[in-house]
Amino acid sequence: MSMNAIPWADALAALAAPPAAPPATDVQALLRRWHPDHQAGASVPLRVGASAGQACPPPLAALLHANTLIDDTDVAGCATVDTGLLVIGGGGAGCVAALTAAAAGVKVVLATKLGLGDSNTVMAEGGIQAAIGAEDSLQAHFDDTIKAGQRAGDPALVRALVTEGPAAIRWLIEQGMSFDREEQGGGAIRLRRKRAGGTSVPRILSTRDVTGLEMMRVLREAVLLHPNITVWNRSPVVELLSDGAGRCRGAVIYSLYLHRFVLVRAGAVVLATGGAGRLHLNDFPTSNHLGATADGLVLAYRLGARLREGDSFQYHPTGVGWPASLRGQLISEAARSLGAQMRNGHGERFIEELSARDVVAAAILREIGEGRGVERDGCLGVLLDTPGLERAKPGVLAGSLVSLLHLAHKSGTDPAREPMLVCPTLHYQNGGIVVQPDGSTDVPGLFCAGEVSGGIHGRNRLMGNALLELVVFGRRAGLAAASCDAARLGRANLDHVQDWRRALAAAGLPLEVRAPMLFPEVANFSMAADRALGRAPVLAAG
Amino acid sequence: MIEVEIDGRTATVPEGTTIILAAAEAGIALTANVGCMGQGVCGACRALVRREGSREVETALACETKVEQGMRVSFLDRYTLPQQQAYGTADLADGWTIYERMLAAFPNATHCRHCSGCDRACPKGIEVQKGVELAAQGELGAAAAVFELCVMCNLCSAACPESIAPNHLGLFARRAVAASGQRPTDLIRRLHEIEAGSMAVDTTPR
Repeated sequence: MSMNAIPWADALAALAAPPAAPPATDVQALLRRWHPDHQAGASVPLRVGASAGQACPPPLAALLHANTLIDDTDVAGCATVDTGLLVIGGGGAGCVAALTAAAAGVKVVLATKLGLGDSNTVMAEGGIQAAIGAEDSLQAHFDDTIKAGQRAGDPALVRALVTEGPAAIRWLIEQGMSFDREEQGGGAIRLRRKRAGGTSVPRILSTRDVTGLEMMRVLREAVLLHPNITVWNRSPVVELLSDGAGRCRGAVIYSLYLHRFVLVRAGAVVLATGGAGRLHLNDFPTSNHLGATADGLVLAYRLGARLREGDSFQYHPTGVGWPASLRGQLISEAARSLGAQMRNGHGERFIEELSARDVVAAAILREIGEGRGVERDGCLGVLLDTPGLERAKPGVLAGSLVSLLHLAHKSGTDPAREPMLVCPTLHYQNGGIVVQPDGSTDVPGLFCAGEVSGGIHGRNRLMGNALLELVVFGRRAGLAAASCDAARLGRANLDHVQDWRRALAAAGLPLEVRAPMLFPEVANFSMAADRALGRAPVLAAG
Repeated sequence: MIEVEIDGRTATVPEGTTIILAAAEAGIALTANVGCMGQGVCGACRALVRREGSREVETALACETKVEQGMRVSFLDRYTLPQQQAYGTADLADGWTIYERMLAAFPNATHCRHCSGCDRACPKGIEVQKGVELAAQGELGAAAAVFELCVMCNLCSAACPESIAPNHLGLFARRAVAASGQRPTDLIRRLHEIEAGSMAVDTTPR
């Protein structure tokens, strides 16, 4: 890769000339040459488990190939709690599943690694898709989603997604979520719509550019106030429990309050543990929150659930490129949706800005790789022309892009006067655990919802389909899981762990590597040290 | 390099480092009071901050606040409300009764003594006290607007001597305004079309 780049000052000077339309692009060739998924060494075949042979990035494969964190001796005599449904994960999907099951009368324990709502959902900015426009249709939403996913998505899942989109928006409003609106005269309102990259009509509904914040604080409050839901913060799952015959019967939780394991036996389990951004695949910065370490993928896979498109990840085109201290943070696609253009170091537009995310990200990496990128204080990227947007639509930054303004403020710049340096940032796991339209997996009693599941987005997700997915499939998984028989909880044990270890040994894989990861290295977490706190002797007073 | 003290540990970090990254540098286990790592939206990294030469203790979000020489920081764990403000989603639907329900769920809403503790505690610069006053007067729409960018860090609730739970009151106002009032005509029409069966999806490859 060339390290040549255009200095910041020269790039700013080149921005003055009005740009020509971007050149036509051979999309498939662009993706093959420049998308990180397709680079040499980006994936290896899995060696054990239900999807052995499937391609997977090496850091994720290492976790999927790993030994368990615990065995029978760790949980002997530990406290056991029984509940109707165990939901694992406190982001959007987990909250929606818990609320849906609780509304059906089921007692729910919601266990989350960090705190309720401290998730990727709350960080979502751009919006949520739902085909409600008069010129739009469920069919158009279906077609856009399948096409953007490079036709790898499961049509039955995508049909469920788009068909329940409008009902999901109604449900969110009933929970108390606000959407941006337009007055129609006579007091009538319509929902304001933006167009996502790679779509045919404006279909993004939003709350300015803080849509995830608005959604998450409403869902969190609803969960906290629901009498059928008990929330366990700081309670990562370390292993699933089975009945010895392949059915999921609960999970082992590690309580960071108690410094001990707790066994939770449940009629069913909904995994809503999100993605894997903190694995920093291909050394990219990530937009993901601290807990995105693929825990759910690892545990479901170990119990026999299949994986799909496990080698496909989304790199958000407009991560912060400069300053270095803010790398990993995102500038919402809403900026491009509202008309912001991107320019390379020569002041040229190089890709249609509202192409699908994989295409835009690959095009940016091409510009940087071929020496047309922009360099500022050692950081490489391309320019997002926010001054041009503000000139074209005065007031748009303050009115519709409050998160962008806040971010620029933190970097000490004024986006109305100075463009932003952007570069792709690891954002989303396109694939995941194989699910049916009711959220069920290959493992009876185990359901998945949200980013941990695969099949909806194919090999590339559209803006706004993640928030929609977590509502639609959170509801579906919550409802299906609620109907599991919790009356006879029966055996719940770690027998599958022995089978897994035998499989690892047979594949010649080391038993010293352990997973789930729970926390990335930056968090300084050591389970041994934390458990020692729980065994500290109680000193007699005086 | 800048030296700061965080939860009793010393960190020496480059200028411009945020408190949360300085805490990681100091070897503190980041398993709580952390989430979005810099976007400033999850509200988990609430902290008390004392700057060198000042006796004042201020509140801050650790992922958005840069370290300063001699700064002392203590993270605040998740704050639990003294009494749960009990209401259900069903309580939000009827605009005629919403004010009564708000007063029932937040009986202290009218007890504000105008100490401005909430305003000082808010790391987002929200006019919390004004929002409380508007809600108490029944101006739920105006109150909702005040709390638009609230991240629910609960620092105002911790600061309120009257246990008003201002951020939860503000969120009640926001939820009530949406649930009782937002009836978009385009959405209603599309729901009708789906119900009537005129919005089928053909899944065969094209």
